[in-house]
Amino acid sequence: MARIALSRLTWKQKLAATAFVLGALAVAGDPYGGGAVRVDSRELARVVQGEIDHVSAPELADWLLSGRNDFRLLDLRDEDAYAAYHLPGAELVPLISLEDYPLYRNEPIVLYSDGGIHAAQGWFLLRARGYSGARILLGGLEGWKDEVLFPVLPEPTAPEAAEAVARLTAVSKAFGGKPRGAGAVEEEALELPDVEMPAAPAAPPPSAARAKKKEGC
Amino acid sequence: MNFPLYKFGAFGDEAYLVVAFLIGIGFGFALERAGFGSARKLTAQFYLTDLSVFKVMFTAIVTAALGVFYLGWIGVLDLSLIYLSPTFLAPQVAGGLVLGIGFAIGGYCPGTSLVGVATGSVDAVVYVLGIFAGVFAFGEIYPAITGFFNSTAYGALTLPEALHLPYGVVLLAVVLMALGGFAGAEWVERRRGTVVEPAAAAVGDE
Repeated sequence: MARIALSRLTWKQKLAATAFVLGALAVAGDPYGGGAVRVDSRELARVVQGEIDHVSAPELADWLLSGRNDFRLLDLRDEDAYAAYHLPGAELVPLISLEDYPLYRNEPIVLYSDGGIHAAQGWFLLRARGYSGARILLGGLEGWKDEVLFPVLPEPTAPEAAEAVARLTAVSKAFGGKPRGAGAVEEEALELPDVEMPAAPAAPPPSAARAKKKEGC
Repeated sequence: MNFPLYKFGAFGDEAYLVVAFLIGIGFGFALERAGFGSARKLTAQFYLTDLSVFKVMFTAIVTAALGVFYLGWIGVLDLSLIYLSPTFLAPQVAGGLVLGIGFAIGGYCPGTSLVGVATGSVDAVVYVLGIFAGVFAFGEIYPAITGFFNSTAYGALTLPEALHLPYGVVLLAVVLMALGGFAGAEWVERRRGTVVEPAAAAVGDE
């Protein structure tokens, strides 16, 4: 192999060598800054079709009342709306910072917003980045108000119906709501357990954020 | 992250025209200095006697590709804000054929024809008039070819997307292809004939 004296290369050869070195160094790079994601559209369509991507308001109310704290509850609205009212244990995360927010990929994450559009968009963003536990509060806060806080209760005619109405009333009162309608009566409020929601995991160091996305089971 | 400057509000729409004008002056200056104001030098490309056009094009491609990649990687340039022309495969192949035929016959491409006009070539002026006639003719037949014009759309497709390869790998492949092309072009030029000197070409022109 002939030894190439660097000083004897013409300027054209030096430029060519520079281009080659830069090209070789670029092989492992990502100029999009990690913002590009791959989405399996068929899998997402199946998830939506199978309705395993959402949580209904009464179901979430049951989770909160039973003291369940193994999930994260994220409020995607702005500060003022959050300060006015938010679900117990909810964390305020504006949609734009959802990407950097420290979350675990294997924990259930319930997203809610006023109507559900932003929650659905946040669900898609999280799903695209591999957070398969993301779920949407069906109906958003509007649905929460209609079904949990201020449910319209009919006059109960049968004993089973009376039980259901009593339960709905108790749930509503537990969250500070007020049932409406003919069936609304004074009922003992359920106690909302004082549960500490899981703390946000420490933000991973930047190098970990660039690591491969696959995690263990 | 503050490039592309215009997209981050560094200057407004009126200043944009001034910036475009200055960039255009730089472009025309570079073309003329490379000798591309001469139709003879440009057509020598097709006779494989002077492959300067090829070398200049790929030098620009490699410089821009490496620059965009590294600026994006270090976070100075936001790649998602760069405009990418959408790909319409069949119409663009047809348009390329028309442009190539015109280039080989007339000896200019649109940019270099304006450079020729600026340096006083009469044939460049005729060529520019031909461009206007062609654009006018296209406008007249456009209703008939609208379907073809919009066919085979692939959106704003990039090579890494089309080849399903990582961006860096495609970049290295392009750089290697360009460097190989330069070596090949120099070999062809040595074999085929003389490189056209811009001064000699200018003497030969009107």
